[in-house]
Amino acid sequence: MKNKFILFLGLFLSASLAVMAQDNISPARKQAIDSLALEKVKDLSKYVAIIGSKETQFSEANRVMDRAEELFAPGAEMGVSSINTQEIAYYKVRRYFERLMALNYDRVNITWYDIQYISDLERQPDGRYVGVITIYQRFEGTSIETGMNYRDTTKKDITIYVEKKQTQIAGRTIEFWDVMLGDVRVTETSA
Amino acid sequence: MRLTFLIFAFFIAIISSVPGQGIGGPGTIKDDGRFAASTKQLNQFFRRFNGEESVDGNIRFYPGDSLYQNPALRKGFLNILFDNQTSSVSPQLKSEFIQYVLSDVYPYFLNFQREGWYAEVDTEFFFKGKREKATLIMKIQPERLGFEWVIDQVIFPPFKNLFNKPVGESKEFLHPLSHELGFMNLRRAFQDSNLPESFTANSYSPDFLSIFLYEMKQNNLRFDTVSGVKFHFFQIGGWYFEVNQFNRPGFNTGWLISNLVRLGPGDKETILKYIYDQD
Repeated sequence: MKNKFILFLGLFLSASLAVMAQDNISPARKQAIDSLALEKVKDLSKYVAIIGSKETQFSEANRVMDRAEELFAPGAEMGVSSINTQEIAYYKVRRYFERLMALNYDRVNITWYDIQYISDLERQPDGRYVGVITIYQRFEGTSIETGMNYRDTTKKDITIYVEKKQTQIAGRTIEFWDVMLGDVRVTETSA
Repeated sequence: MRLTFLIFAFFIAIISSVPGQGIGGPGTIKDDGRFAASTKQLNQFFRRFNGEESVDGNIRFYPGDSLYQNPALRKGFLNILFDNQTSSVSPQLKSEFIQYVLSDVYPYFLNFQREGWYAEVDTEFFFKGKREKATLIMKIQPERLGFEWVIDQVIFPPFKNLFNKPVGESKEFLHPLSHELGFMNLRRAFQDSNLPESFTANSYSPDFLSIFLYEMKQNNLRFDTVSGVKFHFFQIGGWYFEVNQFNRPGFNTGWLISNLVRLGPGDKETILKYIYDQD
């Protein structure tokens, strides 16, 4: 069983190591990284919907916030601006989630548009790669008491950091690509 | 008329190829084509300009792909990369630019890592407790294993009249035999004069960025926020264009060319001087 596992791992890595031996990311590798990054963004969008929902209990929302925070590189921030002002208000990721949880609506509905855009990856001075994924989110909040209904559509430009990492499996050093989310720019759109 | 039809056909192609599955899978909102048409990132502006992605933006074309930098694809993209609602760029100039860029003999492309493009970033700082606007001119430069954005210049109004070197008869000076007196008359420059810049060389030019950084290190300047970004491009020989972000209803949105100038001799330097000095 152990031998089969090592064989499988060997086959899996032989395909990727040829690419990783160079420092450039091949189109095929880029596609795989894009998928991984999109998975993380999908996870984030799921967490955002749970945190924002009034049906989510406080303890559960806190647990989900912890999970959501783990997707981000340390120190990541949310930069938020509205239609009326391009000025950016900055929030730490945790603070942003806490504000989302504390919104004073009885019903909150967060949905996503079926479109996303993934940039090229550029290498930064420390050797890590950086890219940006753009997605669109619709927020609807209803307050029963006041009858207020708020709705907006925001564009979210999410930084992704791509880094080659190493791990030890069965005494062998295995290299793999890891994706972390970084700063997020949230812009209200006129849609 | 033919051009209108082509642009319309291009939009239809964009709308019809919107993917069914998005970020959240089932239950997502179907884009009516506006977000697909929007030039969502500056990265997409580059790719569309160069014809390096599919019409819906979902497929990246690489060298060797049949549609990579395809002239017909580029033509469709270039037509929608202009602000067609508020810009004063004439259809004639736009058409000449597109023809120039798509030349059969020597087509032009944008290159992210090559110099010749700048970001102009409007920011707000608190300077000695008062809110002030500052414009940063930024550019991409190679650094160690990759690239980085760096600040090349700052335009900060409170510094504008900080140095005002007089000319002509009103300019004070240190006489040419000052050295024989061991420059004892420097007292005149540093104590008696309010304009010590009078005593600097003809080549003297204040370095506002250094002063800006110094004030920041002295805790006199505190960053507050970014209030706007635009880009200046000089990468297409003989042309200058400005790219702005348009956040408005409709299909002509995102990062678009808002200003286009055909450059004559010396024009590039004049525009660069304007961008860097804002005079």
